[in-house]
Amino acid sequence: MGPDASDLSLVRRVQRGERGAYDLLVLKYQHKVVKLVMRYLRNPADAEDVAQEAFVKAYRALPQFRGDSAFYTWLYRIAINTAKNALAARDRNPVSYELDLQTNDDSSDMVSRLKDPETPEGLALTEEIRDTVNHAIEELPEDLRTAIVLRELEGMSYEEIAASMDCPVGTVRSRIFRAREAIDRRLREVFDGGLGRTEELV
Amino acid sequence: MIQDEVESQLSAMFDGELPATECELLSRRIDRDENLRARWSRYALIGAAMRSEPVATARSGFARRVSAALHGADERSRPKRGRRVLLNAALSATLVVAVAGLSISLLRDAAVDAGAGSVAQAGTARGVAGGALLPAAAPASGGERALAVGAAPAAASVAALRRGSNGEPVSYVTPINMSNANTALRTELADLIVAHSEYSTPLMRRNVLSALVSNEDAANNASPGASAPGAPANFPAGAFDATTAIPAASSASR
Repeated sequence: MGPDASDLSLVRRVQRGERGAYDLLVLKYQHKVVKLVMRYLRNPADAEDVAQEAFVKAYRALPQFRGDSAFYTWLYRIAINTAKNALAARDRNPVSYELDLQTNDDSSDMVSRLKDPETPEGLALTEEIRDTVNHAIEELPEDLRTAIVLRELEGMSYEEIAASMDCPVGTVRSRIFRAREAIDRRLREVFDGGLGRTEELV
Repeated sequence: MIQDEVESQLSAMFDGELPATECELLSRRIDRDENLRARWSRYALIGAAMRSEPVATARSGFARRVSAALHGADERSRPKRGRRVLLNAALSATLVVAVAGLSISLLRDAAVDAGAGSVAQAGTARGVAGGALLPAAAPASGGERALAVGAAPAAASVAALRRGSNGEPVSYVTPINMSNANTALRTELADLIVAHSEYSTPLMRRNVLSALVSNEDAANNASPGASAPGAPANFPAGAFDATTAIPAASSASR
């Protein structure tokens, strides 16, 4: 099952009334959607509010989602439209934006700068995450690295990976899990040691 | 060991490779286990970083806030449905009152028009035969109009309707023994209100019917001596009662 199919599986569960499955979709795509919205609204707090609104809109529209396109493609369009509308609304009411600027104290401004990937601090964070992941992958044993690369970069299903690596599907599942655990361990070190914001990913 | 198995399941579920039954159980666990939720989120971050996709870390509790917003939206939509029902009921009630009011007005005008040239001409009025209201032969002279009702001109149960300078009748008086079209029309009005009773409350129906009655009573009281110049002596003004048909209709509506 490829990435699109795994999303579709979650979507079908949401359509059957399982809201917890939507929570997983939000957790999965929050980073990408927030980043996407930040292209339009540079203020991270505004971007998160709009991203939240986009997820709420997507949830309401989900009964009409038939799976003709990938879930993220569909979500992407909703997020873009929501961001454009928010931007237009903000332009019509610039006072609120000025108030936002006035209420930012130094500490919250620093946090904002860290979370804004376009600021030097934000870019450094994004780069640090990327470097950490790439270094962790390089350190993986060959079989784990091949399994995770085939999955994440090639989008192959476990069955296809098993055929490619000539091993049982259960072994593929185990290899991918162990690869993720190794990378995640390094990632947690970055968050805990450098920024102490592991919990902020939830 | 068990935790390892759960995390292995989480990884497989992230890839959509976990059987549906296990997904259901694990989903419940994820919902109450912040560690699993954080791990799920980091798995997404790892994949995005490997693909060099642009990402931005969201603030703490982003997914929880989305969930709360969805929950709040559900809560808000419930009272909205309730308000919609109340609004529909209010609109229906308003419609019933409007129809009733319009009907009263039309009936009154019809009665006045019908009587305009009938009894005032003392004996030239034509009665109502078979429940049908027949037009009068000629309009009343001197600005006076009368409503003629009754089965025969001989029994001219007459009520005088004087019109002022503004054209409005001073009073509306109908005979007590009316078995005629005016009664039939008023009965139709009452029937209309009863037929649409599903859209109104008993109190509202009663109010409408009471208004119908009181309007007529008020008109009677306003001109107690108003009788047509040619009205017979055995029909004094006080003997006329416009509400003959209403009590039955009113009780039927309850």
